[in-house]
Amino acid sequence: MSRLKWQAVVAGVGGQGVLFVSRALASAVEHKAGAILISEVHGMAQRGGAVVSHLKAGPFSGPLVSQGQADLVLALDPGEAVRNLGYLLPKGWLVVNAPDLDFLSPKAKKALASFGARVLTVPATALAGQAGTAKGANVVLLGAAAAAGALPVRPGELERAICQGQPPARARANRELLALGAQAAAEV
Amino acid sequence: MSPKAKIRKEILMGNQALGRGLVENGVAVMTAYPGTPSSEILPSVVHYGAEMQHPPYCEWSVNEKVAVEVALAAAYTGQRSAVAMKMVGLNVALDPVMSAAYIGVIGGMIIISADDPGPHSSQTEQDSRLLAHFAKLPVFDPDSPAMARDLVGPAFALSERFQIPVMIRPTLRVCHGRQNLNLREPKELERIPVFGRDPFRWAAIPKMRLALHHALNAKLTKIQDYVSKSKSLNQWHAPLRPRAPLGILASGMAAALARDVLDELGLPVAEGKVPFLQTAAPYPLPIGPVSELIAGCRNVLVLEETEPVLELLAPNRDRLWGRASGHVPSAGELTPEVLGEVLERALGQAKLKAPRPRGKVLTVPDQPPMRRPNLCPGCSHRAVFFSLRRALPTGIYPSDIGCYTLGMNQGAVDTCHDMGAAVTFASALSRGLNQGKDATPVVATIGDSTFFHSGTTGLINAVYNGARFVLVILDNETTSMTGMQPTPESGLTADGHPGQAVELKKLVEGCGVRWLTELDPYDMGGLQKTLKKAWRWCQGPEGSVAVIIARHACAAQRPADAVPSPRKVEVKGQAAPAKTSFRPKENPCADCGRCVAICPAGALRRTGKGKIKVDEAKCTGCRLCAAVCPTGTMALEPAGACTACGLCSTWFACPALARDAQGYISIDRGWCVDCGLCAEVCAQGAIAPLEEQK
Repeated sequence: MSRLKWQAVVAGVGGQGVLFVSRALASAVEHKAGAILISEVHGMAQRGGAVVSHLKAGPFSGPLVSQGQADLVLALDPGEAVRNLGYLLPKGWLVVNAPDLDFLSPKAKKALASFGARVLTVPATALAGQAGTAKGANVVLLGAAAAAGALPVRPGELERAICQGQPPARARANRELLALGAQAAAEV
Repeated sequence: MSPKAKIRKEILMGNQALGRGLVENGVAVMTAYPGTPSSEILPSVVHYGAEMQHPPYCEWSVNEKVAVEVALAAAYTGQRSAVAMKMVGLNVALDPVMSAAYIGVIGGMIIISADDPGPHSSQTEQDSRLLAHFAKLPVFDPDSPAMARDLVGPAFALSERFQIPVMIRPTLRVCHGRQNLNLREPKELERIPVFGRDPFRWAAIPKMRLALHHALNAKLTKIQDYVSKSKSLNQWHAPLRPRAPLGILASGMAAALARDVLDELGLPVAEGKVPFLQTAAPYPLPIGPVSELIAGCRNVLVLEETEPVLELLAPNRDRLWGRASGHVPSAGELTPEVLGEVLERALGQAKLKAPRPRGKVLTVPDQPPMRRPNLCPGCSHRAVFFSLRRALPTGIYPSDIGCYTLGMNQGAVDTCHDMGAAVTFASALSRGLNQGKDATPVVATIGDSTFFHSGTTGLINAVYNGARFVLVILDNETTSMTGMQPTPESGLTADGHPGQAVELKKLVEGCGVRWLTELDPYDMGGLQKTLKKAWRWCQGPEGSVAVIIARHACAAQRPADAVPSPRKVEVKGQAAPAKTSFRPKENPCADCGRCVAICPAGALRRTGKGKIKVDEAKCTGCRLCAAVCPTGTMALEPAGACTACGLCSTWFACPALARDAQGYISIDRGWCVDCGLCAEVCAQGAIAPLEEQK
């Protein structure tokens, strides 16, 4: 079996749970990739600044993704999606926490459309808010990404990676958030 | 073997991997002062050390110099010790580090100095490897969390074999990278500390230091031979090939990322087209393999961060492509993008074509503006900075290193230099600016942990030499920017060994300060009065340094204590901006200049003829001038609704105050923690607690 070689960029703002997402993705794909490298941001940027985390799963040496190489750009904030579009592979996935692509200027929209990447927009904050926990937007977005096939693992594998070892109440809440995301992806 | 100590696989952060490596190699004493990107190393030693029967002694030292000395003396007694800091901390510690090379150690000692190419969270991009060279200490340069962990054993071995401290220099991408690795078992060395009295070594006088210097040089020659022969420290990712036009000599994170970029360019190192030597030991230079590489290639590209070290130490420098030749940028991080450009250019010049040009990159116009970091909602520092500007608007505000550097967003930070410089700068600035009739108030701000680190010496100096300024110690009872490490004031120690709280007030008094008050900055009115009073005292005949300890719980660490009585506020509505106008007929202007000083927009100026002139283009209509006017010349009433004046967003700068395109404010409930402070900030009475509005 050939090992998975997969790169992702997770972007957002301090406090949105960017690092949780990249660690969850890492443990979900670890068994397929063997080696895992992640790059995180700590310190001053966590005070409301832009937070970005790179994940490289497979035979890589360094933890930073090159521009134009990410199989997935997952953005918890639309503005941070714009800032990190340059990482996308032409056949990569852009998954963004937004109701639609209207956060892009007309010119940016056109550039994205002609680039060829696949796009999934999910109003994850609103959905998580309806479920009573706006902070769970990151898990909703992950659920949507898995259901849409933007991840190299099945939704069940992602769920196991997120919920294992969590207290039952927390795991149940996360399963609900993942399901909300999956439902949203199905409706797109 | 306890079940806890079973070998297991974990995804570890580089700093955790270093901590794990130290525990796996029997560290007995661990010291550190927190600083990004090094802060998580010591807590990891505490965490993993708990698996040992005799966990290592760990301490958060008061500063890096102290940390190095504590670890060093432990190594004198034969124990394995380590000290961790960020690279600017190495500057603070350089004095004991320099001598440590001469005098050496018995037990192994590792100095971890984490560098920050970029810089992402630091004042400089300095390269600790150059300081290791300067201090004549061997240095290791890991390229990943796994290598960082794996270098701890060889570093201790080298240190004990040659009785010399060894530096490990991870960069931020190593420290804050994560990698899955197999944990090894902790090692229990159970060495009994013994101090062998030897004043000719441990207390060497200058004459003996010369002998020690000769001995150190002899050691370094032997160490160079040792690292030169080491197969594990020098990795040939691609071996030498006959008549190679280009070779690569690399170290640290640049070596790891360059391999990935070569792969993307279609020249994976495994195919061996470009000889690639990576050394984990840049100083002393592994002269054998490096000379071999350079002799075997027409040109050699040198990739390392952040300064040339390999490049300066290597032979045949005329054939090296690096910083001196302009092939590698002399500032900034070697990101994959930078390395891509560097490699493509070098390959092109060597007439080696990359089979795959670098990938297509989506570039979109209309990028969002840079997101500035900000103090947390509910942070009491914000209240201090607002009060400062309100109470002493013409002041100069030296500040320091920590969360509160972000007071810059409120225009209340004029200098930020190095740990403790708020105090010394204030002392110097006040001397110059106190001259003449219109003395400029100088108000310095410094955090509690920074004050313990380097504030006291400056304060003693200022008091002793008769400086006059106000010092506000922002005491949130923790080291917040680096992740809530305890301060001496808490009495809590890093690993839970018994400690004793050091009272900040007594410490300040002990520095000779005669005007001192403690208050809660959430009382912004009281703080403003105290600031004015303190400054008046500074100027008086008995005046000196006045200290205000502004104590309030950190909003990130203890949110419930930071906002003990939540007050939900709302913006009452919008009103058209109203420009300031003067009605001097009934109430003649006293020409006191208070309105000029306080105007946040700089829209007012004194004409010199007892009048104030308004620059209508600059005036935002915040009406602060009316609030401070003692004569009622500006008899403007607050609008009772938001006039888009921008006072709260510029002077208070809370992330929960959202500003629309027209400048009107609304409360962003996603951020707001109901601290209620902005209600006191608003000059229009537009932001008010909900219960008062009902």
